[in-house]
Amino acid sequence: MEKIELINTLPQVFAGRDRVPSQVWQCDLSIERGQHYLIVAESGTGKSSLCAYLYGYRVDYSGTMRFDGRDIRSLTVAEWCQVRQRHIAYLPQEMRLFPELTAMENVQLKNRLTSHKTDREILDWFEALGIPDKVHSPVAKLSIGQQQRVAIIRTLCQPADFILLDEPVSHLDDANNRIVADMVQAEAQRQGAGIIATSVGNHLQLEQFIVKSL
Amino acid sequence: MLWRLLRTHISASQLIGFSLANLVGLTIVILAVQFYRDVQPVFDDEESFIRKDYLVITRNVTSAGAMMGGTSEFSDQDIADIESQPWCRQVGRFTSSEFSINATIGLGDSGRAMRSQFFFESIPTDFIDVADAEWTFDPARPEVPVIVSRDYLSLYNFGFAATQGLPRISEGQMGMIPLSFTFSGNGLNEAMPGRIVGFSNRLNTVIVPDEFMHWANKRYGDGDVTHPLRLIIEVNSPGDVAIEDYMAQHHYDVAGDKMNSSKANYFLTVIVSIVIAVGVVISLLSFFVLMLSIYLLLQKNTRRLQDLLLLGYSPAQVSKPYMLLVLCINAAVLVLAVVLMLLARLWYMPMLHAFGVAGASVLPAIAVGLVIMALITAGNLMAIRRKVAALWLQ
Repeated sequence: MEKIELINTLPQVFAGRDRVPSQVWQCDLSIERGQHYLIVAESGTGKSSLCAYLYGYRVDYSGTMRFDGRDIRSLTVAEWCQVRQRHIAYLPQEMRLFPELTAMENVQLKNRLTSHKTDREILDWFEALGIPDKVHSPVAKLSIGQQQRVAIIRTLCQPADFILLDEPVSHLDDANNRIVADMVQAEAQRQGAGIIATSVGNHLQLEQFIVKSL
Repeated sequence: MLWRLLRTHISASQLIGFSLANLVGLTIVILAVQFYRDVQPVFDDEESFIRKDYLVITRNVTSAGAMMGGTSEFSDQDIADIESQPWCRQVGRFTSSEFSINATIGLGDSGRAMRSQFFFESIPTDFIDVADAEWTFDPARPEVPVIVSRDYLSLYNFGFAATQGLPRISEGQMGMIPLSFTFSGNGLNEAMPGRIVGFSNRLNTVIVPDEFMHWANKRYGDGDVTHPLRLIIEVNSPGDVAIEDYMAQHHYDVAGDKMNSSKANYFLTVIVSIVIAVGVVISLLSFFVLMLSIYLLLQKNTRRLQDLLLLGYSPAQVSKPYMLLVLCINAAVLVLAVVLMLLARLWYMPMLHAFGVAGASVLPAIAVGLVIMALITAGNLMAIRRKVAALWLQ
């Protein structure tokens, strides 16, 4: 997948408003593979909705979204599964980890589907993010910040054309923000993938990026 | 790992409840089907040697009629009148034995034997469908083939054998029992072996070949008596109302066994249908129990399932554990139901053997169980699919 296009899109909840001051909604926006985008938003401007539309689990918007020219409303369930396994790596804001499984099991649940990373690589990431001792802890026992790091590792365990991160560092300190940013950029560069990160305040510290305000 | 995640909230008690209910329902259905098929031949009045469109009639003698000198014989005139009816194809006369007969029935190794006064009747060979080779009599090699009323077998099995501690015998075994007759008359006293070639529901008597009867009546008696007590009539259609009217008008009785057995057969069918309906209702209810249980389970696991779908798992992949669960449970229930049916059959078959019933194949009953289970399983799997598919949009 090379390009994601948004053509005059608007969440249905915003319908009826005269003019939404946004560089995303009601615009023609093209998101290219290989580029890094930072979508800056205030709370309640439809940031998570945008992610949900792009990941196919919500369709309550007007306008058109396209993957490589194809209207994503026409994608079948099987095609969406392919998108989620091969083309777009997604970190939801609420992370959606399974609290009863260990950190490693959560990551494996994804990696088993994609066979993208070795156990060694995954453990190296745990090490880099400072949580090697949490590998076999149930996620329910981890702090929010630790859970966020586990979720990021899980997100990166798949081939991707775009890495879609919804507030990836909202619970991380500067040092960990830096590490996550490096990890994500390294992974994106390796695959030539684009990065789309949203943020309400704590920005992911990408080196080069295009800012779009919602 | 997927299974570990998705099995949370599975309620063992609900599943056991469903399995038990479905087991009961399914067992009732297939047992009823099997029992019906096993028992049915007892009531079936198809007889291989007497065709259906034959009627046996007697003259109805009231005590008043008898005192006024009435007779139970059919005169030549009566017979001619019947023969002239449009529904009548041919009339055969029963010829009775005019000499004394003693029968001895050996009872196997016990060395005991039953001895009894006996009587014979015969009807024209045209009316009897037995291989010619079996239904002949040759004075040079004397052996008397007989067709006996099935009532006699029941009388022996349920009256005699049961109280005297003798073994019960089936129809198949009956042909092998040594049977001999002693005929006396005209100063002769001769013994001959006999052989049972069949049982009849509709001829309440002992039938021997016409050939033998003519020979024996001449040898031991004064020849055939011309006015028979019973007639056998071949008719165009046995259900014809005209026949019934004619018989009532002339006070003739039609041998009624056939009617009774068809009534019994009818009630058997009704009862079995009711039982099957009850079984089906129980199965249906249990189907809904499982359905509810699955809905509840999917409802409680909605978030987990949606999270898995977001990871890129397909609806088919996340439904698979539940589908396997349903398949395993249903397969186990089917196997258990068949086993229970076979056990119950082991228990009732010895009773049926006494009626000379060999038992029907169990395959149709198993097929019925299989079809019901396949339908239930298909319903369950479809429900799971639809429910999971509905989780796609969040």
